[in-house]
Amino acid sequence: MPEAEKELVLRCLGGDTSAFAGILDIYQDRIYSFALRLLKDPVAAEEAAQEAFVKAFRGLSSYNSAYPFSSWLFRVAHNACMDALRAGNKTVSLDTEDFPDLPDRSAGVELKVEDSIASERIEAMLASLPPLYSEVLLLAYKENMGSSEIARVLGAPEGTVKARLFRGRELMKVKLYREAGATF
Amino acid sequence: MKPDQTDELIARAIAALPYRRSPEGFGARVMAGIAAVAPQPWYAGLLKTAGLTLTAWVSALAFVSARILYANLGELAALAIQPGGFSRALAFTAARAALLLSKLAAAASFASEMLSAASAWLPAWYEIGFAVLFCSAAIAALSKSARPVRQGI
Repeated sequence: MPEAEKELVLRCLGGDTSAFAGILDIYQDRIYSFALRLLKDPVAAEEAAQEAFVKAFRGLSSYNSAYPFSSWLFRVAHNACMDALRAGNKTVSLDTEDFPDLPDRSAGVELKVEDSIASERIEAMLASLPPLYSEVLLLAYKENMGSSEIARVLGAPEGTVKARLFRGRELMKVKLYREAGATF
Repeated sequence: MKPDQTDELIARAIAALPYRRSPEGFGARVMAGIAAVAPQPWYAGLLKTAGLTLTAWVSALAFVSARILYANLGELAALAIQPGGFSRALAFTAARAALLLSKLAAAASFASEMLSAASAWLPAWYEIGFAVLFCSAAIAALSKSARPVRQGI
């Protein structure tokens, strides 16, 4: 954890409420983007992000400084987003994961996927994925977290995280190949 | 394109996604929310003390009530099975409770008398307050004058 961030957390724990403004500055766009990409609704995302920050402030004493502050904060945000998804009657199968069937890809098939993917396209593809998969992909690649860190954020076993990452990537590939007009 | 390359491409594309700017006034709303939930230290302490005192009293009351009922269970049961015995059992319990309360009141009065006897030797509260203030000011003044001069390097 960066020193400045550590100091802000310590000041907050010491009762200095204004120090939380510093934490907010560092994380507000990251947490809001994360919530927006999961909930796909700006109003719901704002509410969830706001709730996450207030809950984080309230529960700051439960933060264990042995782990990165970012993963703790993302865990609070993850819980707020899951609550919002449940409140919106959107299915979030957390207990029994329904892994979608992936088509078989025969080796050696020539694929016309470009060397770079436009951000609008990747954004749309992520949005079309179930939140379980888009969430792990975002945490792994956008937030640069490892499997163990993501497991702490989700409160799920590391094996589950790896499986979701694999499935998420596979689903993204299927969409990419479909767009590229490849046949399976 | 090989699958590994596609994986890398996906990872790079997601990493390159821009963060969305939070809405205008988001930070201010969060800080207002925090200010609403941040408890005042003295207020929280007072509430906690009041809660603990209340819990202790309720527990003591429950214990005493249970003890009365348990101690007189046989008599109460005998009264209850007689016609019109329920109201007599209630009256009996109330009488026992009143007796116990009078004993408690006597004990409290005794403790209060002992306390006032002990505090009779103490000076009045405003004299104690003044002495504390005076001593604090004296200690603060002495420690200020005794503070070492900071050396410039």
